[in-house]
Amino acid sequence: MFSTRRLVYLALLLAMATALHVLEGLFPIPLPFPGVKLGLANIVTLLVLYLYDLRAAMTVAIARVLLGSLLGGTFFAPAFFLGLTGAVISTLVMALLVKKTSCFSPLGISLSGAVSHNLGQLLMASFLLQNQAIFFYLPILLLGAIPTGLMTGYLLQGLLERLEEAGILAELNRN
Amino acid sequence: MTRADKVLIAAVLLCALLGLLTIYRHFFISSDQPFPKQATITVDGKVLRTIDLDPVAGNEMIQITGRLGPATVEVAGGRIRMREANCPEQICVKQGWIQAPGSTIVCLPGEIIIHIEGPAPVDAVTR
Amino acid sequence: MTRRGQILLIIGLGLLVVGVTVFLSERRIKEYRSEQFLMDTLVSIKVYGDDAATLPAAVAAAYGEMHRIAALVDRFPAAGTEDCRRSDVCRINEMAGIGPVRVDADTLAMLLLAKKYHDLSDGAFDVTIGPVMDLWDFAGDHPKVPASQSIVDTLPLVDIESLVVNAVESSVYLRKVGMKLDLGALAKGYATEKALQALVRQGIKKALIDAGGNIRVLGSNARNAPWRIGIKDPRKADALVAIVALEDAAAVTSGDYYRYFEAGGKRYHHILDPRSGYPASENMSMTVLCPDAGLADLLSTAFFVMKVEEALPLAERLGVNLVMVNAEGRIFHTSGLAAHLEVLPGGAYRYDPR
Repeated sequence: MFSTRRLVYLALLLAMATALHVLEGLFPIPLPFPGVKLGLANIVTLLVLYLYDLRAAMTVAIARVLLGSLLGGTFFAPAFFLGLTGAVISTLVMALLVKKTSCFSPLGISLSGAVSHNLGQLLMASFLLQNQAIFFYLPILLLGAIPTGLMTGYLLQGLLERLEEAGILAELNRN
Repeated sequence: MTRADKVLIAAVLLCALLGLLTIYRHFFISSDQPFPKQATITVDGKVLRTIDLDPVAGNEMIQITGRLGPATVEVAGGRIRMREANCPEQICVKQGWIQAPGSTIVCLPGEIIIHIEGPAPVDAVTR
Repeated sequence: MTRRGQILLIIGLGLLVVGVTVFLSERRIKEYRSEQFLMDTLVSIKVYGDDAATLPAAVAAAYGEMHRIAALVDRFPAAGTEDCRRSDVCRINEMAGIGPVRVDADTLAMLLLAKKYHDLSDGAFDVTIGPVMDLWDFAGDHPKVPASQSIVDTLPLVDIESLVVNAVESSVYLRKVGMKLDLGALAKGYATEKALQALVRQGIKKALIDAGGNIRVLGSNARNAPWRIGIKDPRKADALVAIVALEDAAAVTSGDYYRYFEAGGKRYHHILDPRSGYPASENMSMTVLCPDAGLADLLSTAFFVMKVEEALPLAERLGVNLVMVNAEGRIFHTSGLAAHLEVLPGGAYRYDPR
């Protein structure tokens, strides 16, 4: 269903997601292992899932990775394909949990998003490198995904409450 | 936070720690894990250096000297890049990280080539 | 769970991740690698240790030793220059036929080693080869085949018996005017060994020094296995004839392919037989493996000019190992090496394991 209001909101959310994506790229976590990220942009993907549907969330996620890599200069570089695969898979998993289950809070959903993002990235990496040894890296990424996934979930939880209080959630839901 | 959340956190934590124990034994203590891939740095037609690009190996800075002066090659997380080079256009530096076998960074004025190839069998060659 | 509890949980888990990753990376053995152009070649030193901060200083100390030895044996600075005054070899050559020169303990050690192995090798190795080397001009830009008469005229100057080494007074004297020392056949290996000793003094337990193909390893490799050292194929670029497993030892190769020129369809390389004044033609490649890089360098040159039936027994007698490809393209090695050597299939050489 086409709605101008929906289009505008999604565009705004996409801009936010892209900004977060780029911002995060500027401040890598100073851990001795690369690849552990906060995943701030995932907040927006998840928010879109809560507000709209899988199609909207997937659009925002993919467009965010495209725009982010264009801005970061990694367009069609390996990092781009890794990010894209991670974003697509984590959006699918989170959509499943948000729309089909009710036992998870935003924290749990966000954590599963972070975990599936890492899984997707590694799948793509092992495909690109033709090298399965890279899966030895998974435990470190998984461990890193726990606090980062929970933190973004926590932020989203707070955001949803604020939106609720301000009546924006109800307003959005009218569309 | 729901009960399901907590179960999920515990499950992921458990997987991660079990996995870490496994790879700890695999990578951080024992030997003879074959190298996944290697990069060679060639200056002026001669292979200067062959580097293991192990995704879990540490970061490393390699100082080399090209035709136009010093250059720094950086290796980290299974990738390699030209970090600094003494050449006018900085094309090689701008290319950034490479990591797939077959990828190449070339600094033409410095006559430096970084090339990623398949597994290599030796630590050094006597000639 | 309360808000507060959730935040604490997240922070706690975050600290756990930081702790685990830092622990893992600390446990990982650190590597430091550095390269320098030195002694007309590329020297690469790779060291491993638990404390990354100490590695660069150790490598710097090792390079310091190599620079020191390089300055001592440099034989080409112009007479009278500061570089020549710093070079024992340059001063000894200047004073040939005039008088003895006081030298550094390391120069003395190299010359005593050279004299000892000249005798043990029946003259296959001679550091007074300088005048004949100069005729061929291998160090210059345009090496050429000298007139045969000039070689005959110059050969009497290749005479290690006229090299007087006085260990008590640390002095060296070349008796005949025109004699010239050339330590090119052992200085690189000797400097490599000195560099390795410097690493050991700095507490390094694992290292690999590659001085233009002169290999010296300390301990085992980063995966706690013996270092795997390839032996270059003497005719095919980027190919190996064999791989040898090495721990706490040196591997040095002399080959006819390293520095050579062609004239009249013939290949003239830089390893001269001191007895004839011409490039030795018995072998394509000679690799010596023993605990001392200086000795390995010297012996690889000495054995290179020998026939296989002389070189193999002498190596066994001296207690060193060798792998060689002779001029017919046959591979030989000392018997002690069998368990540590893998001759690669598919090469153009003949190998009959015994």
